[in-house]
Amino acid sequence: MKRLAAIAAGLLIAGVPFAVAADISLPGIFNSLKQAFTPTSQDDEIAIGRDAAATLLGASKPIADPAVQQYVNKVGLWIALQSDRPDLPWHFAVVDSDDIDAFAAPGGFVFLTRGLLLRLHNEAELAGVLGHEISHVILKHHLKALQKAARMDLVSQAAKVGMASKGYDSDLDQELMDKVSNATRNLYSKGLDKDDELAADRMGVVLAARAGYDPYGLLAVLQTLEAVDPHSSKMQLLMATHPAPADRITALSESMAAANFDRFGKLAEVDGRFNTMMKGLVENAKKAKAPAAVTKK
Amino acid sequence: MSRWLGLCAILLILGAVHAAAVATAQTVVAGNLTSGPYSDASVVAAVPNGAAVTVIERQGGWYHVKTAAGQDGWLPMTAIRYNSTTSGTAAAPGTDWASLFSSGREGSGGSTATTGVRGLNTGDIANAKPDIQAVQSLDKYQAKPEQAKAFAAKVPLKANPKIGWLPEVKP
Repeated sequence: MKRLAAIAAGLLIAGVPFAVAADISLPGIFNSLKQAFTPTSQDDEIAIGRDAAATLLGASKPIADPAVQQYVNKVGLWIALQSDRPDLPWHFAVVDSDDIDAFAAPGGFVFLTRGLLLRLHNEAELAGVLGHEISHVILKHHLKALQKAARMDLVSQAAKVGMASKGYDSDLDQELMDKVSNATRNLYSKGLDKDDELAADRMGVVLAARAGYDPYGLLAVLQTLEAVDPHSSKMQLLMATHPAPADRITALSESMAAANFDRFGKLAEVDGRFNTMMKGLVENAKKAKAPAAVTKK
Repeated sequence: MSRWLGLCAILLILGAVHAAAVATAQTVVAGNLTSGPYSDASVVAAVPNGAAVTVIERQGGWYHVKTAAGQDGWLPMTAIRYNSTTSGTAAAPGTDWASLFSSGREGSGGSTATTGVRGLNTGDIANAKPDIQAVQSLDKYQAKPEQAKAFAAKVPLKANPKIGWLPEVKP
């Protein structure tokens, strides 16, 4: 037994210089093997995340409502500051879709659709949604899945882009973009593992509570989603990429009960400024509609 | 006079539909209606599975409800499931922003329900073309830590860094 361990240790030690040497002469498989054991630097993660975010925003643009965008950035950053990664360049945005979903991309990108925002009732519910997405970033769920999908080539690619740092017009940037974009289209239309979603629910609730919000906001949102027809087009993407709301409610409520979260039930819901912001969103939609009605005539 | 009343009634109905639809739900388990939002509160009545309730408000993990028989009390959140509204959202307490938004967008003409509705389905993601400018446009909305902290302090929201992680409970 001891001898086996010694052999294994010897192989590991011998493997290090071998992998480094191979990296220079033989890219490809050795490179991939090396990366399997190399943690991604934060810069690499941000470069990958920026390209994933660009792909997601290619499907749905940020809404042109600065007040709403600034609001979600303040709420979101306040929650992210309670996490283990407060220093990421966090970006939050509401995207222009009436369907119901939210996404995260590596490096601190968090998006939710207007359709989801319009179904929330207070800031604590928004905190639950943002907390869930922030948790995907903290736990590197998408980063790991994207690396796996792109056969772990992304890190070296991202590092090269970082070294070149010539902006988006360089060939290296384009190469990384193509790889990340392909992997993103695939991953975000299929979704993460169910366990990743449930883990993000659990962590998101704690982040919201640490930020001073009523931690039952996320459960309330899941109950709202449970009441929407799962076969409606509004729910197609969410249902294709997440466990059913009822399953998430069961798992999350049991975890919260086990940790006696009832004691945090009186934390803040914050509906005043949330409602003011939502009124503005509705009013802006009316204003945007007015000129269109004139041109029709 | 009666025309006045009729107008008032219409306005009231419109207002109710828009501002706060009645929050209706059904129980999904049999349980006890309690006098307060905590597990050791006194029992008001037993409620069977499938009972219709009106949800008045939520406090933490509890809903303040009224039963069809008029009994008033509290149920754990997970004891109910919301009915859905015609706008395709939950009949939860609070403003139905989704229907306010769509009626605002339709304008007074109101007939073209799908005008300007933007979808986002798996196909849209699977065919997405990267938009770098859209990512760069997000920088101008970014908050600084001081701004986020000041925004939280207005409520005030107090950070509770000591709250521990939730355990995974296997079924």
